[in-house]
Amino acid sequence: MTMTVRKQIIAAIASTACVFTPVFAQQTTAIMDGRVLTGDGQTIEGGDVIIRDGRIAQVGSDLSAPAGARVIDASGKTVTPGIFAPVTTLGIEEISLDAEANDSGPNRGEGFPLGAALDAVDAIRSSSMVIPINRAGGVTRALVVPSPGDSLFGGKAAVIDLSGSDNSITRAGVAQVATLGYGGANRAGDTRMGSWAMMREMLDEARSYSANPNDYIRRAREGRHAIADLKALAPVVSGNQPVLAFVDGETDLRTLIRVKNAYGLRVIVVGGNEAWKVAPALAAANIPVILRPTSNLPSQFEDLGATLENAVRLHRAGVTIAFTGTDSDSFNLTALTHLGGIAVASGLPYDTAVAALTRNPAEMFGLGDDLGTVAPGKIADIVLWDGDPLEVTSAAEMVFINGAEQDLSNRQSALLARYRDLSRGALPHAYRGGE
Amino acid sequence: MTDWKKAALALSAGIVGIGLAACAQDDQQGDSAAADGPAEAAAASDTPAAQGSDDDKSGAVRPPKNPYPSTYNPYPSETTFITGATVLTGTGERIDNGSVLMENGRISAVGADLEAPEGAVIIDAESKWVTPGIIDIHSHLGDYPSPQTASTSDGNEITGPNTAEVWAEHSIWPQDAGFTRALAGGVTAMQILPGSANLFGGRSAIVKNVASRTVQDMKFPGAPYGLKMACGENPKRVYGDRGGPFTRMGNFSGYRKAWIAAKDYKKKWEDYWSAYDEWDPDGDEDEPSAPTRDLQMETLMGVLDGDIRVNMHCYRGDEMVQVLDMAEEFGYKVTTFHHAIEAYKIADYLAENNVCAAVWADWGGFKLEAYDTIQENAALIHAQDGGCAIIHSDSAIGIQRLNQEAAKAMAAGRRMGLDLPEEVVISWITANPAKAMGILDQTGTLEAGKMADLVVWNQNPFSVYALAEHVFIDGAQLFDRNNEAISPRVDFEIGQGGNQTTGGAGQ
Repeated sequence: MTMTVRKQIIAAIASTACVFTPVFAQQTTAIMDGRVLTGDGQTIEGGDVIIRDGRIAQVGSDLSAPAGARVIDASGKTVTPGIFAPVTTLGIEEISLDAEANDSGPNRGEGFPLGAALDAVDAIRSSSMVIPINRAGGVTRALVVPSPGDSLFGGKAAVIDLSGSDNSITRAGVAQVATLGYGGANRAGDTRMGSWAMMREMLDEARSYSANPNDYIRRAREGRHAIADLKALAPVVSGNQPVLAFVDGETDLRTLIRVKNAYGLRVIVVGGNEAWKVAPALAAANIPVILRPTSNLPSQFEDLGATLENAVRLHRAGVTIAFTGTDSDSFNLTALTHLGGIAVASGLPYDTAVAALTRNPAEMFGLGDDLGTVAPGKIADIVLWDGDPLEVTSAAEMVFINGAEQDLSNRQSALLARYRDLSRGALPHAYRGGE
Repeated sequence: MTDWKKAALALSAGIVGIGLAACAQDDQQGDSAAADGPAEAAAASDTPAAQGSDDDKSGAVRPPKNPYPSTYNPYPSETTFITGATVLTGTGERIDNGSVLMENGRISAVGADLEAPEGAVIIDAESKWVTPGIIDIHSHLGDYPSPQTASTSDGNEITGPNTAEVWAEHSIWPQDAGFTRALAGGVTAMQILPGSANLFGGRSAIVKNVASRTVQDMKFPGAPYGLKMACGENPKRVYGDRGGPFTRMGNFSGYRKAWIAAKDYKKKWEDYWSAYDEWDPDGDEDEPSAPTRDLQMETLMGVLDGDIRVNMHCYRGDEMVQVLDMAEEFGYKVTTFHHAIEAYKIADYLAENNVCAAVWADWGGFKLEAYDTIQENAALIHAQDGGCAIIHSDSAIGIQRLNQEAAKAMAAGRRMGLDLPEEVVISWITANPAKAMGILDQTGTLEAGKMADLVVWNQNPFSVYALAEHVFIDGAQLFDRNNEAISPRVDFEIGQGGNQTTGGAGQ
């Protein structure tokens, strides 16, 4: 593509990602004397964080609480940026094995015609009870990721906050999901060659469409790809919207880098079990990896190199990392912090693990100016922990989103309140703990 | 949901289950097996000729109870003295600056003031912790192995709602790399179950986590069989459009019909054996003829005889209580409810009936019957008088960190105000599963005379940073994190990746 054409495309489709405006808490809060992990490698013992009108106003070690501020004594607590969960189905999947309660993607094998055109924003249910459960675990932001049906592309992922409010979308169209590796082969004649040929074909068609949509629509063509999908891929081929590529094996990762360079894509890898084998090339291509720290089994041939040291090896090579789980576990994203601890136990520097849970996802998704660290000017997504946030025995004690303290009660705490006493009582259990 | 997520669900949540089926030996035989060598003892006690032979008669037909006996033999071990450690014995005791002595593959002493015998290998475990070997009551290693292909998917015999006749050991692939990873997580024994697609999934196998060429070489000597059964969504989802059961009512009628048939079957054999006893070979009557063997009924009869332990996959509290009534109706015992997401709602019933509940620390929500998961589940099960909580994995990843899962469940219980010291909670992944599996007389705690199955951790195992440094099984060190030579690698992982050896327990 010539630069001229590319500029035209950018002009045509720039800013397709819309940013929503959060409601900021109109108050001043001073979190005083905590152990502050900033998310960008610093630890401030006895640290203070001043929050004003939803944003962090000051961070330091000898600050004074502003007059009229709500003062929170954080001594003995650890203060971190809110956990940013980079691969979730929050709000689009209440229960994975219940068809009506699972909107995470089209069913496989049913020939549903669209892929890239799907948009998580259309289905996110911010009142899902799964959101408060994760909020209580210190998760404040998440990327909501649609999964592909019969197309290689799954649609547009969106970042949400976990306030549960009806305007909790932080940014729509953050990334376009693609399944590659064996998942791609499954959708392309059961061969990886098929998945890459189809990927290139779709990117070519999307370029062609973007160059002149009106002409493209009138043109005689095979019609294999829906216009809606090609339209959705326009920001991808212009390099504005990253591809969130689910891929694990070394060979697929090398092909992915070639395709990225050939088409000028932005790419974020999810999985990357063998990414450590390609680490220098990933670093050179500026491709971050959202990896699974516990993945160490040869589940498929593309996973033969899976190792607990994936995180530390990628880090040493200069690859930006974040974490995701191995199960369908948007129900329990708190476990992300434990995955950080597991990566540390396998050699990853502690501060890098903290950054991988906070700053790195924010930056990967283009939200680094507003989110991801405890620093002046950032949106105040803050968590107070009762101990080391990466430790399995620790818990979040206070959670702030957009500067507002969050309610940490949830359906699980209501069930606990109802059933912690099993004695018969004056009225049945159905009268208890539901307030 | 991505493909790998769907695969994980299909394996671990959708149609996975457990199945234990036929106990071959009683406790006494187990003891003699331990003392005399498992293979010989098992063979001697289980051959048909050894049971019911009679001087005057050739002997009544008695179906073999253990035709695939354990051939496990401990690997050579040295007298080993671990000293200076925080020792959690699994019996509720914590010994600071404690020592453990292993001799001849057995634990010979545990205490605070022990001296190393001359010539013993000494492990200085200052600042380290020692626990019994971790035991997973719910694993599918070997029957859903890595790599996960159609070729190796051997965990669910989805050909009918009652497959009590299948035995997990006939699916187990000893070359599953998952065994090695579990070893690096301190797992020394596990129960491998058939999946949960069926009302009756089949028999389980209890194995020692020792790399072996054959399944028989792994089988835990003297361990009873279990039977895997499943409640709720899975059987009706799998069979709803294949002849049923279509509903939970259908599930129960399926169980009850089978138990009625099993009681008839048992009576046929008992009638035959008493007729044989009364038969006079010198008299006029023909020799009584034995009933035709039925493998499915043999397993169920083993349950009714108390030889085979019932392990029932059940999420909902109300269903579990109905299962308890069914067990009473037919005169058998449920040993453990597995997954038991709602055990906390009926923990009093479980304790009263002396039934264990094996649960995850914090996994759930993937289907409606798992929607009410809470992190305090294990603690609330434990908090009942006589409550028996077990943390299980049902996962080739989860089994590698049962210590961390127990830690999460412990922490949730502490936050609600329960007193849960580490020395008590360690039993959730050691003594309690051993008790439920019928091997507590041999392993599961650090007590003199027991198999020397133990783990030396680099720190408090109830931490995300804890790693198993040394794992001993019957006194033999089979994993040493600091010595690559003491780390198993399965066949599948050697000569891979450009003819390099990949894998290894600590991969």
